[in-house]
Amino acid sequence: MNVNLQVSIGNLTLKNPVTVASGTFGYGEEYSEYFDISELGAVTVKSLTLQPRLGNIPPRIVETPAGMLNAIGLQNVGIENYLKYKLPFLRKQNCTIIANIYGTSIEEYVKLAEYLEKEGGADAIEMNLSCPNVHDARNKFKCPLIAQSPEWVEKYTSAVRSSVKLPLIVKLSPNITDITEPALSAERGGADGISIINTLLGMSINTHTRRPKLKNVVGGLSGPAIRPVALKMVWDVSRTVKIPVIGMGGICTTSDALEFIIAGARVVAVGSYLFRDPLAPIRIIQGLRDYCISNHLDDINNLVGSITVD
Amino acid sequence: MNKLHECLITLHNPVAPNHYRMVLQSKDIAGHSSPGQFLMLEISAGYYPFLRRPMSIERIFSDGVSILYKVCGEGTKILSTLSVGEKINVQGPLGNSFPIPKEYQQYLIIAGGIGVAPFPALVEKILNVRGVAPEIILAGKDYTHLLCEKDFRQMGCKTHLVTEDGSAGDMGLATDILKKLNITGPTIVYTCGPLPMIKNVHKICIERKWLCYASLEAEMACGEGVCLGCVVPAKIEVENEMMARVCKEGPIFDTQVILWEKIGE
Ligand SMILES: Cc1cc2nc3c(=O)[nH]c(=O)nc-3n(C[C@H](O)[C@H](O)[C@H](O)COP(=O)(O)OP(=O)(O)OC[C@H]3O[C@@H](n4cnc5c(N)ncnc54)[C@H](O)[C@@H]3O)c2cc1C
Ligand SMILES: Cc1cc2nc3c(=O)[nH]c(=O)nc-3n(C[C@H](O)[C@H](O)[C@H](O)COP(=O)(O)O)c2cc1C
Ligand code: FES
Repeated sequence: MNVNLQVSIGNLTLKNPVTVASGTFGYGEEYSEYFDISELGAVTVKSLTLQPRLGNIPPRIVETPAGMLNAIGLQNVGIENYLKYKLPFLRKQNCTIIANIYGTSIEEYVKLAEYLEKEGGADAIEMNLSCPNVHDARNKFKCPLIAQSPEWVEKYTSAVRSSVKLPLIVKLSPNITDITEPALSAERGGADGISIINTLLGMSINTHTRRPKLKNVVGGLSGPAIRPVALKMVWDVSRTVKIPVIGMGGICTTSDALEFIIAGARVVAVGSYLFRDPLAPIRIIQGLRDYCISNHLDDINNLVGSITVD
Repeated sequence: MNKLHECLITLHNPVAPNHYRMVLQSKDIAGHSSPGQFLMLEISAGYYPFLRRPMSIERIFSDGVSILYKVCGEGTKILSTLSVGEKINVQGPLGNSFPIPKEYQQYLIIAGGIGVAPFPALVEKILNVRGVAPEIILAGKDYTHLLCEKDFRQMGCKTHLVTEDGSAGDMGLATDILKKLNITGPTIVYTCGPLPMIKNVHKICIERKWLCYASLEAEMACGEGVCLGCVVPAKIEVENEMMARVCKEGPIFDTQVILWEKIGE
């Protein structure tokens, strides 16, 4: 049986609905030793900023029940080094590339997006409006994220939308009361897709030293621990907006990916679980095909949002 | 090369209170490993614990490798309950390895506690490629924490023992012995153990103008350089400060490139 696994975000077609979460796959080189990374629907790269960033002071990660906290602080090579040293490899592998960008102002996001488009650095842009790790929690216990303000989400999105033609994805934060509000704002701003979820804010304390285990005090929680939260947000958002949703948060197996797709995700991303099993995305692509065959589905798109609520 | 392996556990013995040696069968790992490299072990099939655990390669055999580990938390506790005949998923070998430059005639190893783990393989390699047995300072809290002593002696290494409580060898710290050693000429030092020890060894090496390589530890998630969780501040490219990944640029570092003043206690 021939199964169509192709899905679309805006005018971009992915050969299958499986990508990787930004920040868990570097720029593709390392895991290309494990599998042919062009088999992925897309490679989503680590957040890029205008200048290279050193990131936060270690310790940056702590293991937690069924997951982990991270406070990397957007360490990255910067847009120029990406274009010069990382992009050629990804292009040579024939990957579809989603470039995740992070700016500290509307102008920075616009610059990053225009630069990427001009240099052919991406097939789609993912705006990270939701990184929890770029604020020093010791000084500011309130860490405002753009994604927490529906008004700003619309402003940021429409500014980037009007400056580039590339498909535009907006990545939102679960650290909010009602995620459908910024999702609607992103859609109004002209986004072609919505990525959810980024990490949930959390912390962990060493009881011997009575100090936080992360130098940054707080970090972002990821892994299977957050999966039910992510799944519900995917369900909420995909019922609210018309644009495709890219679902992530603790996806490890085919069954996890299916839950997200049935809840309404058009695309799914594997994140932290790559650290346990670098081959997980490949297993999931095969698993989705097998599921479609055994359920007599000739197109995975028919599965998207197929949840029945009695 | 395939870096994911289902390995048969062919030996698993306690070697001291809370310390174990495990032999993992894999021709593939053995054939591609160099002293100083490490493995990421999948402790359980479920999500407890979620992450793999990094362990240095202790020795390299023709059809497998051994690890030497200390039980210090939940992950290593579960690891210690695995039996010979069971299989474990192993990722590796990972990271860089100890350089063994030619122009040095004297090789000195300084190991603190479980920090001895990567050194049996290094001694074998130095014996093989340079034909000399390194001199070793083996330090620990007490006599139960001095591991591999017999192995080193069998390989012909001059071995100095030192314990904090004096229950074996001299009483004191590794650096006390290091200061007293009468070594002249181009010397290269390899060290692994508690961070304060490594820092002090580094300082002494700077004074003596000895090259010093340390095997560093950091909390790791991926072990492959993608998560950027395991970094140390370093100056690897000239004039260019960076956050070096212990799992990729390391775990072995020339101690002069580490920005020690930026690492907390
Ligand atoms: C490159 C490298 C090589 C190592 N080689 C050895 C070895 O040969 N023998 C040995 O006994 N130990 C070694 N360690 C340390 C070993 O990985 C930890 O002791 C082990 O992960 C502890 O796990 P746990 O679940 O028992 O402890 P827990 O404290 O319950 O672990 C919680 C988390 O902290 C991490 N963690 C705890 N202690 C350390 C540590 N010292 N270094 C890095 N991460 C830590 C764990 O990986 C885990 O993610 C090495 C570490 C690194 C980075
Ligand atoms: C180590 C690490 C680094 C991350 N870095 C980024 C990043 O740079 N940009 C971003 O948008 N999200 C980043 N994330 C969030 C992930 O892309 C993803 O949204 C989140 O981890 C949830 O998915 P998971 O549970 O499958 O990991 C990072 C996550 C982890 C664990
Ligand atoms: S452990 Fe992930 S980069 Fe080193």
